[in-house]
Amino acid sequence: MTIFLQASFEGLALGAVYSLVAIGLVLIYKAMDVLSFAQPALAVVGAGIISALAVDRGINFWVAFILALIMTGIIGTLSERIFLRPMVGEPVFSVAILTLGLDVLYRTVLDNWIGVNPRYMGDPIYTWGEFGSITIGGVILKFQEIGALITAILAVLFLGYFFKVSKYGLAMRATSFDQETSLAQGINVGRIFGLVWFIAGILAAFAGFFITGGFNLLTQASFVSAFRALPAVVIGGLDSIPGAIVGSIIIGLTQGYVAYYQFPFESFTGINLGNGFSLLAPYLIMFLILIVKPDGLFGTEEVERV
Amino acid sequence: MKGRPNLYTDYRKEIAILNTTTQKFWALIGLTLLIISSFFFSQYWMYLITTALLTAVAAWGLNIVSGFAGQISLAHGAFVGIGTYVSAVLGGVGSSYIRGYELDMLIWLPLAGIVPAIIGLIISPLAVRLKGLNLGLVTLGLVFIASYIFSNWNSVTGGSGIGRKTAKLKIFGIDFNDGFYAGSYHIEKDQFIFFLSLILFIFAGIGVKNLMRSKIGRAYAAIRDRDIAAEAIGINLYRFKASAFALSSFYAGVAGSLIFVMSGGVDPTQFNLVYSVTFIAIVIVGGAGTVLGPLFGAAFFSLIPGVIKYFLHFFGTTADQVPLHPTQIERLVFGLLLIGFLIFESRGLWGIWFRLRNYFKAWPFSY
Repeated sequence: MTIFLQASFEGLALGAVYSLVAIGLVLIYKAMDVLSFAQPALAVVGAGIISALAVDRGINFWVAFILALIMTGIIGTLSERIFLRPMVGEPVFSVAILTLGLDVLYRTVLDNWIGVNPRYMGDPIYTWGEFGSITIGGVILKFQEIGALITAILAVLFLGYFFKVSKYGLAMRATSFDQETSLAQGINVGRIFGLVWFIAGILAAFAGFFITGGFNLLTQASFVSAFRALPAVVIGGLDSIPGAIVGSIIIGLTQGYVAYYQFPFESFTGINLGNGFSLLAPYLIMFLILIVKPDGLFGTEEVERV
Repeated sequence: MKGRPNLYTDYRKEIAILNTTTQKFWALIGLTLLIISSFFFSQYWMYLITTALLTAVAAWGLNIVSGFAGQISLAHGAFVGIGTYVSAVLGGVGSSYIRGYELDMLIWLPLAGIVPAIIGLIISPLAVRLKGLNLGLVTLGLVFIASYIFSNWNSVTGGSGIGRKTAKLKIFGIDFNDGFYAGSYHIEKDQFIFFLSLILFIFAGIGVKNLMRSKIGRAYAAIRDRDIAAEAIGINLYRFKASAFALSSFYAGVAGSLIFVMSGGVDPTQFNLVYSVTFIAIVIVGGAGTVLGPLFGAAFFSLIPGVIKYFLHFFGTTADQVPLHPTQIERLVFGLLLIGFLIFESRGLWGIWFRLRNYFKAWPFSY
């Protein structure tokens, strides 16, 4: 039972991290019909900036953290302005491939900076030592994982409030509904695109911190973890924020349970699944769900005019 | 009819593979130059040119499924990998922990295409059920699944970081691994692989061209342009999407079986996401949906390392004077080109060539 609770908690925390990236992806998709393959790389860029400021430059962690969030947001906005704005009105697939090119750019620059040795993230609260943990009833809760859960919940609440109440939230909803009509109503759609990428960048940087923080470290392979937000979005449906959250939780829990139950399963059945099967399981789940529901669990079904 | 190259009196002549005298002329010149150059170039450039030829074959494969039939596949690199390992297992040397059967090339070369084609057929129901971005994302998942299998199936791939040797060149029981004598002239192994690739390349090119001008190619184009309309005029979507996937995987597998033979070994981490994206970049930079496009793109991307090396050498800089590693410059150039071509010239290098050609064709009245 302890193992089950432990696996569930870790899965939920992972799901929270994925949901941060996934919400950014859905926001971008809803606003401008672009699936950004560059979002996972942007998450790792955020982590890289935190590490560069907090560890290499020796700035106080919290200052570095906030600076990194803003800088990642700005990188997102700039990428949109420079590379994606000329592509407005182009086929969806061309733009998606363009973001693959962006992904290659981010990662090449970042890999060059990371080098061979893993990078540390710095320690937010020094006295707790290496991110610390508490134990409740035999279940080890890392502060980092608790932090990820709280951040994700706060982010969802804040975004929900933002979309419902604020002027720009309303403008965003209008833009995602119909770009031309919102232009006609005096909404600056270009600014909305920039804002969406800014928010997505900040969310990605949060996720990047939780992926690479603590003992996980930042390596050239870190982006692979962030990439698992993509199956999460697909499971939930590309244009649904609740879907992105549910999808992320499904992916996170799958990964958590497989990580803890793979070995008992293997010794019980004698089937060897190989190292790191838990990292593959999200993609298999994605296949299963897509075969049954091609538009994801919460996605709106695409209606095609003949 | 002499001197009027654009006048066709026969439909057969119009849809011929090389339908103008100019095309015939340049195809001949290109082939002759390639064959002659193989006797003069250094081993490094031979390696690059051979890679370019084989990459073009693989890129044609992706062009069939994405350029002609309009189905997105991000998993092309994985199929190249499957072809590589089928050939390496059947034709490679085994050891106590790696499988290898040292079979004849006449067996492993076709099988290296057929096995990926069957796997392509198996996953094609997904392609029929999904379309657009979701299909792209599913094929992205395939890349991760394939690279997971590659790095875990040690008896086939040697495991990540270690790798294994590729297939041996043995045709009709004759071993070509140390080259052979044609009369008194010694043909090196690299040259032999080059000629082999050239023959494969020519056959693959004729195959693509024939596909494009036949009923199947027209059906693919109809599916790409509007799948509902295609279905309405009686094209069986399931059959043609499945056959497009199978054919593209066949091309990928055949190219993959030879592409690593020259360097002699292959590491499973090779077949990652970037490798698959490379093929997409080649098709897009070259020009999707054309026969010449992927050839341009493949030549372009395969020769970039050599050109960068040449320039570094030319300016007298050594590798540590440049802030970026040559492979990283390569990847930066590659990312920027992919983005640049999508924004500024979506028809790719082929589009540039097409406009240049029309400019000079209509000269002096071009505007």
